[in-house]
Amino acid sequence: MRFGVGLWCLQSTAATPRGHVRAYREYLEDVALADDLGYDSLWLSEHHFYYDGYCPSLLTAAAAALAVTRRLRLGTGMLLGPYQRPERVAAAAAELGHRYGGRLDVGVGLGYRDVEFDGKAVPRRERVPRLLELVHQLEAATGDGSYAVWLGAQTQSGVARAGRLGHPILLSGALPLDVVRTLAGVHHAAWVDGGRRGGTRPRVAALRNLWITDDPAEQAAVLDWQRASYVLYQGLGWTVDEGDAGAALDFTGDAQRAIDTAVATTILGDAEHVIAGLRDVAAAGVDDVVLRIAVEGAPQEAVHELMREFAARVIPVLADLEGSPCDSA
Amino acid sequence: MRLGLTLPAGGETKAAITAEARGVAFVHVVAAPGTEAAVAATVVAVTSAVRVLVGLGIGDENPVTLAEDVAVLDNLSNGRVAVLANLGGLSADAAVEDLTLLRASWSGRPVRHTGERWRIPARLPGHRAPDAVHVTPLPAQLAVPLWVTGSAAAAVGTTLGLPVLAGRRGDIDATAPVAPGRAELSGSLDADRDEVSGWADAGATHLVCAGDIDLDDLARWLIPEVAMVAFPRVVADSPLPRPWPRAAG
Repeated sequence: MRFGVGLWCLQSTAATPRGHVRAYREYLEDVALADDLGYDSLWLSEHHFYYDGYCPSLLTAAAAALAVTRRLRLGTGMLLGPYQRPERVAAAAAELGHRYGGRLDVGVGLGYRDVEFDGKAVPRRERVPRLLELVHQLEAATGDGSYAVWLGAQTQSGVARAGRLGHPILLSGALPLDVVRTLAGVHHAAWVDGGRRGGTRPRVAALRNLWITDDPAEQAAVLDWQRASYVLYQGLGWTVDEGDAGAALDFTGDAQRAIDTAVATTILGDAEHVIAGLRDVAAAGVDDVVLRIAVEGAPQEAVHELMREFAARVIPVLADLEGSPCDSA
Repeated sequence: MRLGLTLPAGGETKAAITAEARGVAFVHVVAAPGTEAAVAATVVAVTSAVRVLVGLGIGDENPVTLAEDVAVLDNLSNGRVAVLANLGGLSADAAVEDLTLLRASWSGRPVRHTGERWRIPARLPGHRAPDAVHVTPLPAQLAVPLWVTGSAAAAVGTTLGLPVLAGRRGDIDATAPVAPGRAELSGSLDADRDEVSGWADAGATHLVCAGDIDLDDLARWLIPEVAMVAFPRVVADSPLPRPWPRAAG
């Protein structure tokens, strides 16, 4: 199991205001620490036209991080594909992948906010063909594999599409583990049904909410941060509108239930508890975990402490997890 | 007059670090269409003071998207970015529209734009969206410097009040607050002294230097040459003082 950290959104929110210059400066400090500690990857997230300056230009932000790191992979989780001209995205990805030894994971997603489609003058009804055109161009431009193409999807139809195309997926941290298990299975089955494109089973990565602490006060704070980070989703109007998760993750219709469901995914306790929780995640068919720790309200000092603690006490113990249950299938 | 350096393709970060250390006023990033902001981001990440002039192709991509790329870059750099908009072969009318939308996106005002090329927001059927958008984040600077180049640059510069990058000394407007030019240096000290002096005499305020450039020579001879009237060359021509024995490198 490989471990990454996420999702960096570079915001200045009503609850946690800061200058954007500071947000980007701290981001470059964060990537340097992740690099030093041996994390596999760090992931960014994209939105547009939101009051908090949510990062709208992921390859620009990723490029800066690649320039100041040596081993860390930078991931876009997700670059919202329909909004940009695909040849430009592919050109930028190829340039960065070539310059930085293939340390780029280009995750692409559909987008879901009407205001973003309208602000970009893109009909929402065209989002799937536009995304597939981008995937096609990214596949063509990667050449000898200068970057990897990931798909973001939280529904059975979405992960099946990724599986058929032979691409790895990154699942949301808000999804309950039983939904993750279902989606991982759908992804694998679609890859098999699609003729095992690429020859190697594409990986399943999942964001997971977790924190190592047995201090009740800190645990309460962590759950507050997680809750606040999902209130953001309520503001954005995110919803999973299909399948098992759909009933529980409607941030527009039943926000309180959705927030409660997402916060309940948090693996929270001492290192042993977190290790046990991650073994459950692996057993659900997840190859790689992205720790969802860059959340609303969490100060940089606390995030850094968690990164150090996790690298020292959890990653070495879980070294036996490389090779997921799906590998034998 | 400020001297800047066009960074070599593929060696941008190394050259930018050296340029910053030598006191070059700005570096100029030239990259393939679609890669401009990403390549510029690698430069701003490894520097902390030098200004970064980003060559940005206009016409292919939605100006809102270009504005977002630059805004992220400006925040990454703590407000060190300037944009050289390459209008390519766009007509003056088309370029004016794209640049108007680009600047509106950085203004902090809600954006409502209707033109021949763009309608933002598009108000497309089926979208539940407001009649304006705020493009965020805003750049770190209170206003992003914007220069233009390309076939319609002169007309566009006049219409929008933007500095035009001059390719010939004779095109410099010595009365303009900002009058940038571009020169190809040869690597020959005498010729390059004449070249930069000629631009300074013509009234240029910024000179983008490309070509065969030794940054030590640029810092020692050319930057001082245009930093005062009648620069006493003896101070640059004299032997360098002995370096500190324990200095690194």
